[in-house]
Amino acid sequence: MTAHFVDLLDGLKRRSLRMASLVEDILEEAGEAVSRADHALATRVTGRDEDVDAEEVQVEKEVIRLLALYQPVGSDLRLLCTILKVNNDLERIADCAVNVAERARHVDPAMAADGIGELDRMIPIVRQMLRHAVQAYSTQSSADAQRVFQDEEAVDALYGQVIRRVVVDAARSPEYMASYLDLLSVAKNLERIADHTTNIAEDVVYLTTGEIVRHRSA
Amino acid sequence: MVSAADARFALREGVSVLRPQRASAVPVLDPREEPVISVQALTIRYGSFAAVKQVSLDISPRKVTAIIGPSGCGKSTLLRAMNRMNDFIPTIAVEGKLLYRGANIYDAASDPVDLRRRIGMVFQKPNPFPKSIFKNIAWGARINGFRGSLDDLVERACRQAALWDEVKDKLHQNAYALSGGQQQRLCIARTIALQPDVLLMDEPCSALDPIATSRIEDLIDQLKADYTVVLVTHNMQQAARVSDRTAFMYLGELIEVDDTNVIFTKPKHQRTHDYITGRFG
Repeated sequence: MTAHFVDLLDGLKRRSLRMASLVEDILEEAGEAVSRADHALATRVTGRDEDVDAEEVQVEKEVIRLLALYQPVGSDLRLLCTILKVNNDLERIADCAVNVAERARHVDPAMAADGIGELDRMIPIVRQMLRHAVQAYSTQSSADAQRVFQDEEAVDALYGQVIRRVVVDAARSPEYMASYLDLLSVAKNLERIADHTTNIAEDVVYLTTGEIVRHRSA
Repeated sequence: MVSAADARFALREGVSVLRPQRASAVPVLDPREEPVISVQALTIRYGSFAAVKQVSLDISPRKVTAIIGPSGCGKSTLLRAMNRMNDFIPTIAVEGKLLYRGANIYDAASDPVDLRRRIGMVFQKPNPFPKSIFKNIAWGARINGFRGSLDDLVERACRQAALWDEVKDKLHQNAYALSGGQQQRLCIARTIALQPDVLLMDEPCSALDPIATSRIEDLIDQLKADYTVVLVTHNMQQAARVSDRTAFMYLGELIEVDDTNVIFTKPKHQRTHDYITGRFG
């Protein structure tokens, strides 16, 4: 029975990682949609969210089933708890990525052509954070998780810069107010994605060490 | 001072926030409190075979300590050593110390009969005497010189063993008429009647169905308010549910002992991890 359980657990972890890859793709496309003001791509991204939602429910059901039927302990318990929590964060990241894409549909192409400065810098960092978090989750490596924590501060700093820039630029060019608010929303969603990605990295630390590292700085 | 969260909870639950909190049934323990039993570098041999090897383990007062491990790991031998039940085996040899309240129970001056009154034992299979429920409980106390009311003693022991409501109207019926779970609680009541300090339990639920097992587990949880409990079990979920501390033994050695929460979520030793997750054993 243990071998059977281990097979089920491995299968569930692989399924969760496939979902993570799907979310990485969605984030990549959402970033492209913003950077290029590609409205067609933004529409495609929005449609892919349903796949993530459906998968999230199936993964959650399987975690609950394994908890109920096998009452795992030790690292098996930690892995199932981590899968459940990562599952939730991945779904939220996909939602935020869709929000990014939807806002991108409203950004004025002329403004995008001028370059969005801080946003163009935020997007690759957020994508790198998610890549490192998924890598850490895949290999169960605390060291990879640490790289995610380092990038979070950079994203927060850039988000602050976006807010300051929008305040100044919107005052100068009020005719673009709607687009500035869209840009602000994009930045806010990228910052949320960074937070969810950090959650995943923290869950990996719990998975590998049993230590809960959330709220350590509080 | 009533917090906003307390007030919201009170409103939702319809309770008074000013109601005093019920005192915990378990007294707050001083972590520096002396162990009730201290096993020190204990080795137990059956002839040339060492069943327990250099084990050192402290048993904390009024806590449930579970000893787990695969068959043949020495856990029952260690448990039975705690009230010298192994003395009946002719080839047994004990090295090291086993202190009860600071005194080595294997010293020549130690009286095993008195020891077993202070450290009672409940076995795998319920083993009531072929007598009435009343006599099962009263007999041990009577031969130990108890001079109070036996009626009161039987009622008190049955209540503590969560058995009273089921037997109060048939105390003079034969104990064999009880179900397996009731017989096991009767054996616990019989042990409690002697007012022991420590309860040793050797797989007390292995012969019981899930409902009877659940009642015994609830009982163990209640008993630790008054007694120190050492529990040997093959059922790891049971150890996780009822114990405060868990000791893992393998091939006669104590591999790891820690808070149960730690053992079942992040054990330090790979062999403990492999055992609790079913990778071996």
